[in-house]
Amino acid sequence: MYPNLLRKTAWATAFVLPLAFVSCNRRSVESKQPVAERKNIDEAHSAVGTTGAAIPAQPGKSSAAHGSDAAMERDPDAIKALENMSDYLRSLKAIQVHVTTSRDEVLEDGQNVTFSGTVDMIAERPNHLRAEVINEKQHRMYFDDGKTFSIWARRVNYYATIPAPPTLRELADKLTGQYNLELPVADLFYWGERRSTADIVGAIDVGASQVDGTTCEHYAFRQDGAEWQLWIQQGNYPLPRKLVITTTTDPARPRSTSVMTWNLAPSYDAAAFTFDPPKDAKKIILAETPSGDSQ
Amino acid sequence: MSRPMLGKAGIVVIAVLVAGGVGLSGQRGGGRGGGGHASRGGARTSVSGGGNRSANVSRDTNVNRNTNVNRDVNVNRDVNVNRDVNVDRDIDVDRRYDGVGGCCYHPVARAAAVTGAAVATAAAVGSVVYSIPESCSAVTVNGLTYQQCGSAWYQPEFSGSSVTYVVVNAPQ
Repeated sequence: MYPNLLRKTAWATAFVLPLAFVSCNRRSVESKQPVAERKNIDEAHSAVGTTGAAIPAQPGKSSAAHGSDAAMERDPDAIKALENMSDYLRSLKAIQVHVTTSRDEVLEDGQNVTFSGTVDMIAERPNHLRAEVINEKQHRMYFDDGKTFSIWARRVNYYATIPAPPTLRELADKLTGQYNLELPVADLFYWGERRSTADIVGAIDVGASQVDGTTCEHYAFRQDGAEWQLWIQQGNYPLPRKLVITTTTDPARPRSTSVMTWNLAPSYDAAAFTFDPPKDAKKIILAETPSGDSQ
Repeated sequence: MSRPMLGKAGIVVIAVLVAGGVGLSGQRGGGRGGGGHASRGGARTSVSGGGNRSANVSRDTNVNRNTNVNRDVNVNRDVNVNRDVNVDRDIDVDRRYDGVGGCCYHPVARAAAVTGAAVATAAAVGSVVYSIPESCSAVTVNGLTYQQCGSAWYQPEFSGSSVTYVVVNAPQ
């Protein structure tokens, strides 16, 4: 029956476009090939499936997720993986991470435009930080020497300082809450303090995936205002390797992506965290967010 | 850091901005006219912490922020054709203009309008701009840095990670 159908198709094509008859015929023959291959793949999949090892997503669950009315899944294993990662981050005294970033901005007409950049950061518990952020808009350096937080706009050579709280997480809180300033890859500071997972309403394990050649487990989470995906390195070093956040409060659904490369044995000295302003740098204020956050 | 050059395309965009920006004064409210590249917001960059959430709530109020795609166009600096309207000479990436950063996390919560470029002769005290004329000079008064541009004074500040310039009265 199948070859019959092919012949019919070929005939129809030949009728419309006689010159194409020969090549079309050949395609008909070739088209059998993928069918056979697909069969093999199916067999391979079911073979793996019976071992139960490498297929994390269960068919029933994933099909339920297709319907918009379907109840959101909150896989406890995915939550657990997030917590394990947090515990691991918390066990690290110092980290160095290089991040390549991209971030959508939504133009007034709803079009997304993407800006790229990098972050280079060294952080040491509990309150030492040095981060350099370079993107198409800004070149910034952030320092926390344990007593003072400094931000330096390299190009225009302005800097500002505020007293630093006892931990980097509190610094992140203070900066976002009081100054509307977000530290680069700020999630790391929260995860490193075992972030609460209470606000996560959806959690699924998507499966194994490569990030920069490293095998990771790919998870997808949902919370109010955002869907986010996290790739956690498999094995004994459950590091976050990639984070994609989709903002759902804007119909354009802009995304930000961070791909992280880790160094768990960074070399630095204490001076690295201290901002020593260049002679011609000018001190300005870090403006506080007006209360109420309204315009 | 080397800046991307948009070349001719950038000039065209600038030209559009200039056309829309003539007469643009410090008092102008609402979205930026002419350019069509104002941003209404952007992707959040973290999923933790309370501050981030509140920042996102305010995102929609940031309509005036000028995240113009053409902001880096140094080409324009030498094209002083429009200098008399004080629109394009401000785009001096290396000295005064620092780019409007992260877009959404630091609303310039000022009652006054936000414009993309300073118009020294018409700036109202309290206005916020993202760049100032090249001719301004830095003056330190009581330990704080100001920029004096003719009779106009600006106080640079970090608004979130962005540098903005607030029009102020001459410091005493």
